[in-house]
Amino acid sequence: MSDSMQFYISTLVIYLFIDIIGVLGLNLQFGVAGIINFAYIVFVAVGAYTAAVLSLGPDYPGNFQHYVFGASWPFPLPILAAGAVSGALSLVVGVISLRRLRSDYQAMVMLVLSLIATLIATNATGLVNGPAGLATIPQPLYDWLNLDSLTYQWVYAGWCAFLTLIIFVFVRGITNSPLGRALRAMRDNDRAAAALGKNVTAMRLMIFVVGGAIAGISGAVFVEFIQAWSPGSWLYPETFVFLAAILVGGAANNWGVMLGTLLVPVGFLEATRFLPQIFYNGFIEAMQWVCVGLLILAFLWFRPSGLIPERPGRFRAHPETPPVPAE
Amino acid sequence: MSQLIPAVGFGLITASILCIAAVGFTLQFSVTNILNLAYGDIMTACAFAAYLANHAGVNIWLSMVIAALFGAVFSLAINRFVYFQFVRRGTRLFGMIIVTIAMSLIIQNVLLAIFRPTFFSYKASPGPSYDLGGMIFTASQLAIIGIAVASMLAVHLISTRTKLGKAMRATATNPSLARSCGIATDTVIDAAWLLSGALCGIAGVALVLNTATFSEVTGATFLVPIIAAAILGGIGQPYGAMLGALTIGLASEIAASVISPSYKDVVAFVILIVVLLVRPQGILSEVASAKEVAA
Repeated sequence: MSDSMQFYISTLVIYLFIDIIGVLGLNLQFGVAGIINFAYIVFVAVGAYTAAVLSLGPDYPGNFQHYVFGASWPFPLPILAAGAVSGALSLVVGVISLRRLRSDYQAMVMLVLSLIATLIATNATGLVNGPAGLATIPQPLYDWLNLDSLTYQWVYAGWCAFLTLIIFVFVRGITNSPLGRALRAMRDNDRAAAALGKNVTAMRLMIFVVGGAIAGISGAVFVEFIQAWSPGSWLYPETFVFLAAILVGGAANNWGVMLGTLLVPVGFLEATRFLPQIFYNGFIEAMQWVCVGLLILAFLWFRPSGLIPERPGRFRAHPETPPVPAE
Repeated sequence: MSQLIPAVGFGLITASILCIAAVGFTLQFSVTNILNLAYGDIMTACAFAAYLANHAGVNIWLSMVIAALFGAVFSLAINRFVYFQFVRRGTRLFGMIIVTIAMSLIIQNVLLAIFRPTFFSYKASPGPSYDLGGMIFTASQLAIIGIAVASMLAVHLISTRTKLGKAMRATATNPSLARSCGIATDTVIDAAWLLSGALCGIAGVALVLNTATFSEVTGATFLVPIIAAAILGGIGQPYGAMLGALTIGLASEIAASVISPSYKDVVAFVILIVVLLVRPQGILSEVASAKEVAA
């Protein structure tokens, strides 16, 4: 295999794993707990910015870009910090918007949040360098490992795979636990769950924070790979790529959403990237977004449970429970 | 003080545009119970319809009428062919909000694909300027304020003086009871989409007349103050939306002149957060409580 082909394949593998991390986080919120977070990409972005400023080093006068909280923390601290900051932001957002609101009303508020976040990041130029964004973010351990760039790519892909595995095991731990069952009960009927003594507000907030932290980690790993991040990288429609992956793969099914990630953000968006530019520059991109929208509608219409549907709950009768006598 | 009075003038114009848009948004929600996140993109589509008419040589005010008609028919079509189909299949609110955002994505990018990524403007002169007690308005801005007042009056008269308006309010309060009283709720819902689409079209053209240029994301960006105004006033309440629009229009323009113009929408957002924390059902809360948007 030629070097350029290897570069391309390894990049795709890295994108796939990072997208899987992001989708698993959104699936916890959307698929498992029934929270429609149209601002998910904001938490990815905040994680990315956190990791970026914590590895760029302190800002100095005359620097070509300006940002706050600059530091050069050693790997993997920026990633952990990204998870913590995104999680903390989720807590604030969750406290304001999750309580007492109907699910579609919440979704609308989240959409507004996503639009506003872009506006603030673009206009507050001192915060994270405004519309130009941050660049030359160092790749973790690049100098220390001292590898050629192709080998480094594969090492990074391995690191992403390892991280994906950790997140997957963690998420699976939640979804397969009694907590996971309580969350699904809340999603299907929150009043019934509350009547059975579940604190639905606390559960909703908790899963929102966990999902937000995972979003932050995926953003951090992504930005340390592509080395640049700007408001244009996380406009509000990006959330719907994740959402489409979940709806295509199968909401609330961890294997399903991973399949969805392989098909939508990686498979579909990458394959169409190589179509020849027709009409004018940017036409293909616009049509990609139209297709993402159509894909969401088509799956909601024809196969709302996705390619690999959620497994229905199975209950074994307790061996000592006598059968209910027929009347 | 000297910069405050002109800011109030700008605020009145923004409030007028916001008023038309927010009333359309909230009216349709009250009758159909669907939060239509594609509203901003329908607005953009209407602005493009007026653009085509305008550049074909039609006067801008006549183009606005065309945009209103286009908006009415387009909204009705989206409901008939997409939203209503999903509702009839039993898609719940949870799913409907995803359907509307998918429509938003589709409309926005179809417009982008057709018209290409660039900025557009109408062929219209703003007319002579008038100084009214320190507030400077161009003739077209005065016309926008006039159109807003006229539309609000029309909405008020339709909802209080006509059979259709009463049927709409009945459907908004309790759809199944309205149906059992012999109101053809499907027709009422169609009428609500037509009316809200027409208001959406007028607002879209007025918005572009005021900002001079527009692109495929203009409407989607304007959705932030629309939603803030509707929620502040109490979602589903046309009068509340008027009140919300006036508050947010004035507050954001005054903040723009005092702090920085780029933070106009941030003010709307801050108001939205405060409302959600203090009184999520909004100022006029009857519809919001009836539809259980905020328990």
